[in-house]
Amino acid sequence: MWEATVNGRKLNFHLAGINNQNFIMQDEETGSWWQQVTGEAIQGPLKGSRLKAVFHDELTFSMWKHERPAGQVLRPDDSAPWKEFSEDWETKTARMPVVTRAAPDDPLQPRDLVIGLKVNGAAKAYPLAALQAQNPIVDTLGGVPIVIVLGDDRASVRAFERQVDGRALELFMKAGVAPQLVDAETGSAWDFTGRSQAGPLAGRQLQKIPLLKDYWFDWKLYNPQTAVYRLGTR
Amino acid sequence: MNQTMTNMLNKSETKLRARRKAGWLIFLLIAVAAVAMVLVPTLKIMPFKPQTARDIELSYALRRWAPLATAGASVIALALAVWLWQGAGRWRWLRRAALVLLLVPPLAAAWFARQNHFEWIFNPLRAATHTAADEARFVGDGEMVMAVELNNDAVAYPVRQVAYHHVIQDTVGGVPIVVTY
Repeated sequence: MWEATVNGRKLNFHLAGINNQNFIMQDEETGSWWQQVTGEAIQGPLKGSRLKAVFHDELTFSMWKHERPAGQVLRPDDSAPWKEFSEDWETKTARMPVVTRAAPDDPLQPRDLVIGLKVNGAAKAYPLAALQAQNPIVDTLGGVPIVIVLGDDRASVRAFERQVDGRALELFMKAGVAPQLVDAETGSAWDFTGRSQAGPLAGRQLQKIPLLKDYWFDWKLYNPQTAVYRLGTR
Repeated sequence: MNQTMTNMLNKSETKLRARRKAGWLIFLLIAVAAVAMVLVPTLKIMPFKPQTARDIELSYALRRWAPLATAGASVIALALAVWLWQGAGRWRWLRRAALVLLLVPPLAAAWFARQNHFEWIFNPLRAATHTAADEARFVGDGEMVMAVELNNDAVAYPVRQVAYHHVIQDTVGGVPIVVTY
């Protein structure tokens, strides 16, 4: 998700092509081509320019509705007979071929879903399967202590800087009737929005980190130096 | 008519014939070039095919210049067709039919150069409209949405819609954004 304004000029974007299975957009105003995943202009008068990223979450509808009951939802396009992907689009897409060559020592399959994080220039891919097996994932990336949390719906994912006033927190899931995210330092309870609901740190908010849910092949193509998280490592 | 004049006439006739032959050749080349101009980028940037940086660069250049170049090719082709249309001969009608057929590729290329064939498959959303969260029956509870919040306005974009359109333009909290998936 990007701001549509570049150098004070509002641009209108269109789908214009595909580059190794990541699409290209073209703006009407200059005709430049933009790579969707990086927001960078790759051809044309604006080549080298970058769109400004807009922070967003990828959540289930029920999770979002619970958090933002007064929110608005994009209405489907009524003018087109085919206006959205089918409900099983993810399963179908997962079966589609991948054109970029996998390295022989690749730890993941091309279509494995990863949570891609970039902090201070350091990129790391956290396989979604790893997060589903071990929630939360506590790590340090680019010198910053981070945590990745899977929502109660087992599908929504958020990442945070796990520190308050410069002090890193060890977060873990405390077992119980309703498992609760708790920090080892103060015993405060944290919710999925990154806010502490109870305990000494109640009311404090963890800083959100942008993440990209992506296929491994695509993440690796645009982050060739990426590290990969493996269960049981830090 | 004396001998010299007949010779001169024959000579100019031969010259004209050579020119018309060249005209046909140019016509043919223009038809091929115009089609290549739109076909090459279409084939280079096809889904499920790998692309190199060079492919992208070439495709961009061709797509950028194709509208102008194919229009020019069509004008030249039309002029050549008008010129080659004249003339008698036994094969006149066959020749004229060939001219009409040869006009199709450059004209078709000029039309295609002005189309966005990706938007034929994935229609662009003309204008984004919203529905209140509790009235949105078209999204399942377990479906993923891209959620944004700008200046206290919260909008959710169901991934199934965004993935289909690829590009959705909207304004949230007064900020023009482009939603992509």
